[in-house]
Amino acid sequence: MISGIQKLLKVREVPVFLALVLVILITGFANPRFFSISGVQDITLGVAVIAILAVAQTFVIVMRHIDLSVGSTIGFSAFLIGYQSSHGAPLWWCLLSGLLLGVGVGALNGFLVAYLQLPSLVVTLSSLYLVRGTFNEIAGGTTITNTDVPKFISFLGRNYLLGIPYLFWIAFVLMIAAGLVMRHLGWARDLYAIGSNPAASGLVGIPVARRTFTAFVITGAIAGLAGAVLLARFNTAAANSGTGLELNVVAACVVGGVAIAGGLGTPYGAVIGAVLLQAITLALGALGVPQFWQQAVNGILLISAISLDRYLSSRVKPTQIMRINA
Amino acid sequence: MNRFSLTWDKGIALLLVAVTVLGSFGVPYFGSTDNISFILQDIGEITLIAFAMSYLIIAGEIDLSVASALNLSSATIGVLFKNGVPFGWAVVGGLLTGLACGLINGFLVTVVGLQSLAVTIGTLALYRGLCFALLGNNPVNQMPDDWTSLGYSNIEGTFFPYVTILLVVFGALFWVVLHYTQFGRRVFAIGINPEAAKFSGIPVARTKMVLFALTGLMSGVAGVVYTLRFASASPDGAVGYELAVIAAVLFGGVSIAGGVGTLWGVLASVLVLGVVRSVLQLSDFSANALLIVSGALLLISVVFPRASEMIRAGRKAKSSN
Repeated sequence: MISGIQKLLKVREVPVFLALVLVILITGFANPRFFSISGVQDITLGVAVIAILAVAQTFVIVMRHIDLSVGSTIGFSAFLIGYQSSHGAPLWWCLLSGLLLGVGVGALNGFLVAYLQLPSLVVTLSSLYLVRGTFNEIAGGTTITNTDVPKFISFLGRNYLLGIPYLFWIAFVLMIAAGLVMRHLGWARDLYAIGSNPAASGLVGIPVARRTFTAFVITGAIAGLAGAVLLARFNTAAANSGTGLELNVVAACVVGGVAIAGGLGTPYGAVIGAVLLQAITLALGALGVPQFWQQAVNGILLISAISLDRYLSSRVKPTQIMRINA
Repeated sequence: MNRFSLTWDKGIALLLVAVTVLGSFGVPYFGSTDNISFILQDIGEITLIAFAMSYLIIAGEIDLSVASALNLSSATIGVLFKNGVPFGWAVVGGLLTGLACGLINGFLVTVVGLQSLAVTIGTLALYRGLCFALLGNNPVNQMPDDWTSLGYSNIEGTFFPYVTILLVVFGALFWVVLHYTQFGRRVFAIGINPEAAKFSGIPVARTKMVLFALTGLMSGVAGVVYTLRFASASPDGAVGYELAVIAAVLFGGVSIAGGVGTLWGVLASVLVLGVVRSVLQLSDFSANALLIVSGALLLISVVFPRASEMIRAGRKAKSSN
């Protein structure tokens, strides 16, 4: 029994999940309205976009890489989907164009990181600028209004299944799918191996470059498709859509136990991290903390999460000296 | 054979000359004294932080919280002044705030042992959040004129804005320390191999602590410049500057992997970006063109050296066959 609990506590996602339960319980007792169905809906609706991007980001972070371009990609895709729809394109075509945009950005990132062996931080910082610049140039002052949004997409954004917003179900299904893939498929296990030790993975015959390329394409593709979710969430899109999301996404992953140093973490953790950050933001509001403190608390939470992780992992095994090759 | 080798930083310097010459002949008003003054003001804050960030990246670390630290310093100045503290002391408070931000980052990285990329994403949110906590929705717009005029006017009798003094003094200081002192050599040694540096007796943790503190302090200095230039302290100032600073440093030839870089390469890089921005603006290009150009230049700065390396390796392999 005790060893079972100890085993459970060693699962990286468990402490974050306990923190989430704690936050919800404390807030709920202090302000019962937090327990209501609308409280749940607030959290799940608000978190959907970040949760989806965090699942996507997990693929690259476990490989000790990072993709900062997702905020630009998702914003551009949301605009593209709405724009095409407003010109009469059918839904499937709109979604396909969003997907292709994401795949294109992901393939560019992947090619530069995997085959030219350039640092992903620099590459994706550049593509953040390139995609955002191109997007703004095309979008100009155009705003996609709610009448331009495809009917099906705005339906998803405003309706609920079993009391939970459709957008969160999308994130949930994606999380399960990605979780199963990363747990059971050989090529996805390679990503963990690469993140733990890139040089050794090459020596044991893992096609490091090809796997790296694939992971960036997957991240880009999910970000591209998620443009539809961003569009559904706000029912509008403009040149500034998706700005600055990248750092929130990385924060969600890190809080959820996806280690920046690579080799550790799951899509489940990434989503739990995203939900925790969102729950705390809303909890502060429910507890009457002025909203101006929310971002500061998020920062403290992120730092505490990585400090705690560091402390726990230093008890498990002797400290390793790790260098970031971000 | 002692032939001239074209390194990346020399290339940037040449690019700077080329863009400036093209700009002066091809773009009206580019060479005007007003425009030169404007360019220098425009790059001021980013350059000041880039000097310190270069050290940090050469040592193999990074700080994403600089823009938030800059703005927290600005917010501190605003709040202190609003509550009756003399402006001079408010500025001191702003500088100390920047230093404190850097020390917190340094503590988390060197003492707690966390990775700087993750830590400074956290403090990016924390410091920015504190700006909102301090100021709420009330930016401070009343600042004494004799101070703010330092932010937007030129040194008397010249067309150089006052920030030029800071750029020259700090530029010289950071250049000499990085390239001509033991401390500077240690920074490179740590970036090349922190373990080897440690075993050869370099106080790695303490040196990194100093670098983080220095970056925080320079963010504080930039915060003062920013506050004076806009005569205002608002919670959402300087958003996104961190990426501009890092882009400038990397474009200046500092390797993100650590151990490589020159300070004058970084200086040339900031100037190139400032000049290109000015040329684009005067030629009626939109702000988007600048985003695209920044992204493309940053990409070229990593692709170009790698490509030439690969070509060289290919040639070697061929000649040895």
